[in-house]
Amino acid sequence: MTRPLNPFQDQTRRHFFSQCGVGVGSAALATMLGERRVAAKDQVESPLAPKPSHFPGKAKNVIFLFMAGGPSQLEMFENKPDLTKLNGQPIPDSFVDGKRFAFMDSSHRRNLLASRRTFKRYGKSGAWVCDLLPKTAEIVDEISIVKTCKAELFNHAPAKLFMNTGSGQFGRPSMGSWVTYGIGSECQDLPGFMVLQSGPRGPRGGAVLWGSGMLPSTYQGVPLRNQGDPILNLSTPSSVTADQQRQLVETVGKLNLKRLVATGDDEIATRINAYEMAYQMQTSAPELMDIRDESQETLDLYGIQDPQQASFARNCLLARRLVERGVRFIQLYDTNWDHHGGSTETLEKHFPSKCRDIDQPGAALIRDLKRRGLLDETIVIWGGEFGRTPMGEVRQFTGRNHHIDAFTMWLAGGGIKPGQVYGKTDEFGFGAIENPVHVHDLHATVLHLLGLDHEQLTYRFQGRDFRLTDVHGQVVEGLLA
Amino acid sequence: MCFLVLPFSGLFRVISLCGQNLRATGCDVKKFGLAVFIILLATIAGMAVDAPAVELRFNRDVLPILAENCFACHGFDEVAREADLRLDTMQGAFESGVVVAGDPKASPLIERINSNDPSDQMPPPESGKQLTETQREILQQWVLQGAEYEKHWSFQSPRRSEPPSVPNARHPIDRFVLSRLSESGLTPSPSAGPSTLIRRVCLDLIGLPPTLAEIEQFNDDFARNPEIAWQTLVDRLLSSPHYGERWGRWWLDQARYADSNGYSIDSPRSIWRYREWVVDALNQGMSFDQFTIEQLAGDLLPDATIGQQVATGFHRNTQINQEGGIDREQYRIDSIFDRVATTGTVWMGLTIGCAQCHDHKFDPIKQEEFYQLFAFFNDQDEPSIKVYDPDLDVSELTAQRKQAEKNLGAYFVTHAEEQIDWEASLDEEAKKKLPSKVSKALAVEATKRNLVQKLEIASVWRGNDHQEFARLKKRYDELNRAFSNAPTTLVLRERATPRKTTVLIKGDFTRPAHEVTPGTPAILHPFKSAQERPNRLDLARWLVSPDNPLTARVIVNRVWQQYFGRGLVDTENDFGLLGARPTHRELLDWLAIKFIDGGWDLKSLHRFIVTSHTYRQSSAFRDDLSKVDAENRLLARQQRLRLDAEIVRDVALVACGQLSSQLGGPPVYPPIPSAVMSQGQVRRSWKASTGADRYRRGLYTFVYRATPPPSLNVFDAPDGYSSCTRRNRSNTPLQSLALMNDAAFFEFAQSLKRIIEKGGLEDAFRSCTGRQPDESELHLLRPLDSLTAARVLLNLDETITRE
Repeated sequence: MTRPLNPFQDQTRRHFFSQCGVGVGSAALATMLGERRVAAKDQVESPLAPKPSHFPGKAKNVIFLFMAGGPSQLEMFENKPDLTKLNGQPIPDSFVDGKRFAFMDSSHRRNLLASRRTFKRYGKSGAWVCDLLPKTAEIVDEISIVKTCKAELFNHAPAKLFMNTGSGQFGRPSMGSWVTYGIGSECQDLPGFMVLQSGPRGPRGGAVLWGSGMLPSTYQGVPLRNQGDPILNLSTPSSVTADQQRQLVETVGKLNLKRLVATGDDEIATRINAYEMAYQMQTSAPELMDIRDESQETLDLYGIQDPQQASFARNCLLARRLVERGVRFIQLYDTNWDHHGGSTETLEKHFPSKCRDIDQPGAALIRDLKRRGLLDETIVIWGGEFGRTPMGEVRQFTGRNHHIDAFTMWLAGGGIKPGQVYGKTDEFGFGAIENPVHVHDLHATVLHLLGLDHEQLTYRFQGRDFRLTDVHGQVVEGLLA
Repeated sequence: MCFLVLPFSGLFRVISLCGQNLRATGCDVKKFGLAVFIILLATIAGMAVDAPAVELRFNRDVLPILAENCFACHGFDEVAREADLRLDTMQGAFESGVVVAGDPKASPLIERINSNDPSDQMPPPESGKQLTETQREILQQWVLQGAEYEKHWSFQSPRRSEPPSVPNARHPIDRFVLSRLSESGLTPSPSAGPSTLIRRVCLDLIGLPPTLAEIEQFNDDFARNPEIAWQTLVDRLLSSPHYGERWGRWWLDQARYADSNGYSIDSPRSIWRYREWVVDALNQGMSFDQFTIEQLAGDLLPDATIGQQVATGFHRNTQINQEGGIDREQYRIDSIFDRVATTGTVWMGLTIGCAQCHDHKFDPIKQEEFYQLFAFFNDQDEPSIKVYDPDLDVSELTAQRKQAEKNLGAYFVTHAEEQIDWEASLDEEAKKKLPSKVSKALAVEATKRNLVQKLEIASVWRGNDHQEFARLKKRYDELNRAFSNAPTTLVLRERATPRKTTVLIKGDFTRPAHEVTPGTPAILHPFKSAQERPNRLDLARWLVSPDNPLTARVIVNRVWQQYFGRGLVDTENDFGLLGARPTHRELLDWLAIKFIDGGWDLKSLHRFIVTSHTYRQSSAFRDDLSKVDAENRLLARQQRLRLDAEIVRDVALVACGQLSSQLGGPPVYPPIPSAVMSQGQVRRSWKASTGADRYRRGLYTFVYRATPPPSLNVFDAPDGYSSCTRRNRSNTPLQSLALMNDAAFFEFAQSLKRIIEKGGLEDAFRSCTGRQPDESELHLLRPLDSLTAARVLLNLDETITRE
């Protein structure tokens, strides 16, 4: 028995009729189909329709807050007095012997750099949080702070790919694609995997970060754009009236239906469905973006100054709105977290400003989801593609280099154990000394919370079963509630 | 399939008990009982579609079970092998005592698969694998029958056979297909009507829909003599230059062609001359073996022509990482990994890439053999070359440029003293004002200056005021431009001294193990080379050797797949142990042998397939097939196929009368939505083409790997990151948005609107679908304004589908 290669080509399609079609409507379709064939096909499945998971999952949705560039854990969550004590002295050889580093030849330094920030303990867990994250400090009892994340690649683009796809190779499906491929989406008038961006430019790697790789393009992340159409080609051409557009969709539906009856090809039913969803999207996506119906209190909670202006804060609010609409996987990219110490990337000036951008909105997202009863079913992930070295880079100002051996991420909601600090690092925060969490493990855990077994979620391509975790990954039991 | 087995499990027990009783009573009865058992079993398990089973066959019945469930730990890969047991060879199974031929009871294999004790059970519960009752029965019967092993089907040479005799069928393809259908009690579908047929074969052979005039002509011819009409049409299409565009794209998918360097920087590259080479080679009917040799090793052919060098661009379609701080060797190695894997996939249909880090888990390919193939691809430089217009006389031009240089040299000698005086006249103030290049040139001692430096100085010293100098300089510039205007293209070039190739432990380029020399996998036909150190040319010749059991089958299958939506082997990129069995093994072998015997002629293969009735059948679904063969594996009908991304565009362009049919040339930039290019890490410019270049075929659209053109991407155009041997055919709302609202499609609709206003709705309908609309369809269209009607037509499922 060979496994299906691709749901579009190989599965006998279960059919699914849109409940709220324009014009054609499910009843008419069913009647006309009935004339041709009975019972064999009674449902048309949208490729994004919800699908059963491998086992009941705790979570339904994921929001991934991606700090593109690699935020410094040593200025946020890792309080290391030894770094301060040995500031300016070389890190002992035992830590670095035999290791390869990014930019080894040019600017890598071996001297330790004391944290630029001060720390206090917060919440019942007593988690250390720096002075730049006062709002995050208030929610530490809702989140699991993981100190021991470990990645494999230290250049930005491959590392981002690795965090998203479990591989540094281009052309592999992103986690959001795997998830929507695995369990579809609850929302039938917006794509199941959406991407929002803030910061001065796109993340390194670009659109491949939310690509579907060898999976069908249905599962590709769809960027929600800050300017122009929120989704590509969403607007009706300007010279076309709403009436004409409705006529277009209706007539295409009716003619397609005739062809369906003439040929009996289910693919046409799927296309009829796709047109109805596209038409609904033309309304639902602008509604999603229009946050005028949010209360002032909510806007203040997130710290949204100008509702029209794109920002990380507005994206956090949109993420909540997407979750409310049943969109399965939402990813927010906030760029410029690459603080090497050059004149525009200092730990003294630029890093604090990035922290201010994200502190309040991130914490507000957790609070807002919680008070709306959505946190239990939504996993929120915060982190970048890697962290920063305990050693400093002394350029014009201070900064730190890329570091993959141990860095901090936090997770919340959706079956994640709240109020804990997970994993321990050594005295400099260089490597894990307890409970390392590899990126593959993180992926396995997120899939597990969604009811997916990372070893079973596979796709056969070029003769091989591919999966998000490749041949690795273990669910991190310690992170589960 | 599984759910069908469950209700019958009781029956299985009865039958298998029967089997035991019968065994006791005698050989003949046993055979009889077994045959009944197998037939029942096959029917129940849904295998009736595969073959009328009379006896267990290792490759067909047993191997898939072992491969899927056992080989990961008891297979070819020594490192992963558990308990020192291998079940992929007869020797391994027998010598270990795990299988005792003819005696299931004495065979630990059978005991373990039937065990309920989790610590004993095979496959172990933690593997997540579980045998069905049917599978356990099959293994048991196989052991009982003597546990015979066979070489995997695709590693054996194709077998010659006579097409079966079938009433009313002459075409060999039809004879194979009909014979198989009748075994399952099925009949083929009638031929599709002429308007469907012409649109189908035009889209399949040249990727463009027929024009109204062509449809009318064909309908007339068809009414007179369908067979002659068909042959004439097929011949015309195969000699059309658009044939090379259509099938060139098929090949470019496999070659992972795109116009940028990939990775995060993704800067543009110039390799379209390779694209052009592919299109030309197919149009000229180059034989597939030559096509292979030139692409893999054109540079190594004696007196390699420019074209043969350009052809080696096939393996330059790998990505190039231009990010700062990277280890270049790492990415050079990555591109060789890709070359090995792509060669394996494209020609052999094998997942050789799986042996990069360890011995292949399922197929008999050792990690060492991976690196032997790697060694062929490790000895090249990766330059780009200029490709001059064939009309340009390069040697004449070179001679003229030499002369121009001489003339300038002589000028400088004649005027040397003037120049010295001029130099001496420069005061400090004047020197400061000189462009830096000039200052640098002046710093060089006068006798040691080269021509470029002399010209720099002369640009100030002589300016434009000296007629004689200006004339000489102008000629020199013109000739240089003639050279630099020639486009460049990426090629492979063999190094004088080969690199040392070693096995890389776990595929890690920092962990070399022992040295290896170029070679091919031992499981396949012998490798020959006249040279001490074999090179890519030997590899290419080995791939297209008539002894190669794979290449012809793989290529024939991949051509077949274009016509029917799936290959005779469903896993078009995996002919290995985990791949699907062919649905029509004899037909596949017959086609492969014909392909080789006929000189690897692709056009003949195309003609042969499309002239069969099997190809010409109606694609309408049939109620009687939906239960027995819902996926149309037996080919009782044709298949409706959503068009490839580029052809979705091309069909709209033809329908609205806008297509520019210009062939070849550099890639073009049709309009795309704004802000698309800012999706990449580096924002690339996209200056929309003007004039006819806005309306070129999708094949010519510039493709950035990181930010592909959205209207191609949304219809599953491949990304160029790895070889694509079969496109997805997704069906999504974003496609609907593109067809409805994308500015380019809206522009097409406006042109089609004018056709409606001039020629009427029916013409426009036929331009889009190839057929006459019926009254009820016209009834729906008539109330619409002509722009809306035009948009409707371009959005029809039928318009973007080949029926």
